[in-house]
Amino acid sequence: MLRGFNDSVDKTVREAEALAHRAAIVGAGHTRFGVLEAGPRALVRTAVDAAFRSVDRGADRKDVSEAFLATLGFGGSQIGNSAAVLAEETGVVGVPVTRVENACASGGFALRSAVGALASGASPLVLVVGVEKMTDVSNARRRYWLGVSGDTEWERLAGLTFAGVYGLIASRYFAEHGDASEALAEVAAKNHENGALNPNAHFQKKVSRAEVRAAPRVADPLGLYDCCPVSDGACALLLSAPEVARKFTDTPVYIDGTGAGTDFLAVQERASLTRFRATQRAAHEAFRSAGWHRSDVSFLEVHDCFTIAELLALEDLGFAGPGEGAALTLSGETRRGGRLPVNPDGGLKAKGHPIGATGVSQAYEIFLQLRGEAGARQVAHAGHALAHNVGGAGATAAVSLFSVG
Amino acid sequence: MRSVVRVAAYLPAGSSGGVRVAASDEDAFTLGATAAERAWVDRVRVSDPVVVHLLGDYPSTADWGFPALLGRGAEVVRHPGDGGELARALRSLEETGEGPALVVAAELPERATNRERPAPSPPGAAAVAYFLETSDQPRPFRLGPASGSPSAVALALRRENSDDGGLRSDTYVGDWDLAPAAGRPVDLELVRRGAERNLSAVSEGAYVPRPRYLENLPSRWRFAADECDACHEVTFPARGVCRRCRRRDALTAILLPRDGGRVVAVTTIGKGGQPTEFDAQVEVSGPYQVALVDLAEGVRVTLQVTDAAAGEVRVGDAVHTLLRRLYPMEGEWRYGRKAVPAPPGTTERRER
Repeated sequence: MLRGFNDSVDKTVREAEALAHRAAIVGAGHTRFGVLEAGPRALVRTAVDAAFRSVDRGADRKDVSEAFLATLGFGGSQIGNSAAVLAEETGVVGVPVTRVENACASGGFALRSAVGALASGASPLVLVVGVEKMTDVSNARRRYWLGVSGDTEWERLAGLTFAGVYGLIASRYFAEHGDASEALAEVAAKNHENGALNPNAHFQKKVSRAEVRAAPRVADPLGLYDCCPVSDGACALLLSAPEVARKFTDTPVYIDGTGAGTDFLAVQERASLTRFRATQRAAHEAFRSAGWHRSDVSFLEVHDCFTIAELLALEDLGFAGPGEGAALTLSGETRRGGRLPVNPDGGLKAKGHPIGATGVSQAYEIFLQLRGEAGARQVAHAGHALAHNVGGAGATAAVSLFSVG
Repeated sequence: MRSVVRVAAYLPAGSSGGVRVAASDEDAFTLGATAAERAWVDRVRVSDPVVVHLLGDYPSTADWGFPALLGRGAEVVRHPGDGGELARALRSLEETGEGPALVVAAELPERATNRERPAPSPPGAAAVAYFLETSDQPRPFRLGPASGSPSAVALALRRENSDDGGLRSDTYVGDWDLAPAAGRPVDLELVRRGAERNLSAVSEGAYVPRPRYLENLPSRWRFAADECDACHEVTFPARGVCRRCRRRDALTAILLPRDGGRVVAVTTIGKGGQPTEFDAQVEVSGPYQVALVDLAEGVRVTLQVTDAAAGEVRVGDAVHTLLRRLYPMEGEWRYGRKAVPAPPGTTERRER
């Protein structure tokens, strides 16, 4: 059944392959990620203002014809109709705004929706905003919300939040491929090292592998340092149709392909715990639509909500064979100076994970890196990049491919 | 002829040894806690017409989920608590013939309603379930005087069946699995406060509303699944449609094995890693494990592990399952299956 479905996707993709670039990012803005004073409205305002300021030749708010808002509505405040909040806080009242909620993958799916809107030809300039405010609720309420995007009727009733579900996944990964504790610790240490160079990161301090392994266990074999933090933050992108991008800047960053996928919500219904079919499908679609090979990619932004997720990402995206993500990580090749840098901004692990903002923030980092504006954490020879955004424990996933010039 | 298989979840008033905390209707829900009970439940097929006799006065909503537990066709007969309920139940048992039947009697504390605290249990409160079945070598179906309070009946029944299957007055499981066998010291006050806190709490986020909870009980309590006659895919939890070929007209209701499953993944939830509705349980009985268990080839379920030290269960272990309390929410206890380590030497069950 899936094969037939992929075939039909391939056909659609082939028909569209005449377009080399599908959209262009011409501006991007980012707030600090972390425990912030600002509320969600101020976060949105700050990120969008920064995005407009970043457009080299300027962009007018009147040119925005559509907007997409990625947010979970964590904590329950303004859980409904937050599209209007985006419009009124950013000066685009009147244009259509669509909220996209695919849990932690909301940002990646919002970006994909924006590319689709541009492809329809109706919109010259589209705004994509991701935001989450997570630290203004009590600890008990926060823990209530941290599980709302997982399966409630089986996983939650058994006493699992996402840390627990990823704990099960890590347990299975170890059972299939051997103890990967050192590779998990390396993921955390590497991403903290990158985060230490990112002024927007929630955590800007290094941690050693030994510290990661000695931390208290949250969901064995995952410990405290295997988990991303609970963060506030927002990120905004301005997207134009590729043919008009140079009206805004000489160095647009192009989106050459997007893909997305879904899977069963509860991991108990999936054939494998250690392969995310949603990611595999999303990557397949993205690479087909861009006409790229894996070897074209200079660096990755992947969804490392828990350290084990980065190993799965390397494998499901096709950069390592099953079980080989651990060895690739331990080889040092995914460090900033390696052959395939992964998460140069610190990833969710160190940069933080304001749920709706994360997928948008991955594209922000790629925007800086491909334009050579990433400062101390600049990756060498960055020409092509991939962003990978996962909702829940692999139930939804979005992949986008970016290039410059 | 029917014989009494077992008295389950008998809660003698004022039991000693720190075993009993509060008697309530849900305490009768420990079906499947022993091999005898599991055998009884196992023998009841999904399609069997089961008659459940409820003795005494129950709020209208309290059918206790027995129809869901026993099968889709279970019928509930209520016998009002006017002193003659047991006699009436016996009469209807004679009239209904040889099929499986369940008689449940209890003296209930006033039932907690939504968002209200549960009333304290009155002294002498008891709950008891009688499992009756057809047998080739029947024990006489004797319940002594066909009147009297359920707790008096329970005592009489216990005496008469004391040689039947290890029934003991302290055979009690339920309150977050504080079975005396686990050897843990029990702080009754902590349990009471935890339960009251959860029972009175209003859910703030992810939770299973009562109608959703009830609709899935056959799958959650009995591992009811659909097997597709066309493509042989097993769909669990049952959805009324084959998850592979989407056919609705070729499904056979089956029960997956409840014992001898194999652990394919397991995690130990550390302090603070649990959803908030499990806070009280963790406070009372410490960290717990959650396992993904293969019930049959490729059919898996997520279960909390109980009656085992945290870290005891490992990938590859065989586990049995029991119906246990999960947590109270909005005035009501939620029940589901949990996994326990299988005795050494248990062979995996693979048949469907």
